[in-house]
Amino acid sequence: MNATLSFDQRLRRRRHVVGAATTVGGLLVLVIGAAVAWSWRSELPDPVATHWGAGGQPDGFSSLSAALAVLLGIGGLTVLFLGSITWALGKSAATLRVGAAATVWLSLFMAILVVGSLSVQRGLSDAREVGSINGVLLVAILAPIVLAILVAAAVPGDPRQPTTAPVPADAPRVRLVDGERAVWINRASSRVAYVVAVPIILVTGALAVWGGAWPMLIVDALVVGALVILTTFVVRVDHTGLTVRSTVGWPRYHVPLDEVLRASVTQVSPVKEFGGWGWRVGRDGRVGIVLRKGEALLVERTGGRAVVVTVDEAAKAAGLLNALADRARSGG
Amino acid sequence: MLLRLDPSAEEPLFAQLVAQLRLAIVQGELGGGERLPAARELAESLDVNIHTVLRAYQQLRDDGLIELRRGRGAVVATTPGRDYRPLLKAIDAVVREARALGLSSQATAALLKEAFRT
Repeated sequence: MNATLSFDQRLRRRRHVVGAATTVGGLLVLVIGAAVAWSWRSELPDPVATHWGAGGQPDGFSSLSAALAVLLGIGGLTVLFLGSITWALGKSAATLRVGAAATVWLSLFMAILVVGSLSVQRGLSDAREVGSINGVLLVAILAPIVLAILVAAAVPGDPRQPTTAPVPADAPRVRLVDGERAVWINRASSRVAYVVAVPIILVTGALAVWGGAWPMLIVDALVVGALVILTTFVVRVDHTGLTVRSTVGWPRYHVPLDEVLRASVTQVSPVKEFGGWGWRVGRDGRVGIVLRKGEALLVERTGGRAVVVTVDEAAKAAGLLNALADRARSGG
Repeated sequence: MLLRLDPSAEEPLFAQLVAQLRLAIVQGELGGGERLPAARELAESLDVNIHTVLRAYQQLRDDGLIELRRGRGAVVATTPGRDYRPLLKAIDAVVREARALGLSSQATAALLKEAFRT
């Protein structure tokens, strides 16, 4: 069916379809949420409660139309922002999945939180009578995760695009004798992630307990989970190509040997180039497994894609990957 | 850590693996307490039988360089007092002196071998 489209056109179409679909879907969720809440206007107190403080008691109030305008305005801008990033930078399936999942989760989270907190105020004459909305918060955090994962899983994977073009002559190489087998394995891990994340977890955890917003502890649990799976990776270069795998087994990023254009060593500045640490999307939509600053392996891949992994001994890894690609392409 | 195997060499594959891993440990590329790659993973990458890798790991364990722990795989031993740095420094000095005298690596290695015999 796609035979008439070039590989680049197919990739571009994929990121445009996913970017547009998640943006439209996200906006639709916000509009439907606002419409449902608006249909309750005769049953809702005026003003409605819009903010809850410590102890789970409402402490902020506004008119229904203002509350819904905030949902549509801030929510809409967030969805448009995430959607345009997905549209513009989603060259790899890995990037597209993160973008699509983030758009879906955030739009549903905001819609459920606002609609849910209004639904518990139906039939009240005074919004001050409403109690805690911890239950709503819990549903708003957890329910969209399921859908976000489903959407991410539905994003089509990267189509294969092997190349036979030789690796540029100026790329670094490890010398291999005929028939020699070689593997390069190293661990990439992050200390800075713990330095940054642990205080945040402790402070937000304390605030959640003290403020009575205990569902926020789930956010902490999710952050801890992310910390465990996203801070130690095993990086491997062998005859199959490059494989970066979390020590837990997932997530995993693989570049088949025949899609390697060139491997090299680069210097990474996490905040400037990737906006932080972890599994990131950087400039030009390159995938970054960024765990510290400094030396990193850069693999340029067919389809305008690239991946950067901060790992020690990157020169050996790049040299081996280039040498193995040379050998495979010369028919050895 | 870069590991290479040459199937056309006379030395058996497991012995080549032992030599390279030993080098990585002695040179500090693999530090005490660090985990070695899973045997299955290494076997796949190097296109060898898993028993070849396991045999190499057992040899390294018998040499006291690594520990094999159930569930945790192979871990570089943290033997107190086993510090290879002075040895590496001495080897550096030997290479420097040999170069200054114009001795080949073969000639220098022959001298070292001779020294071990006494």
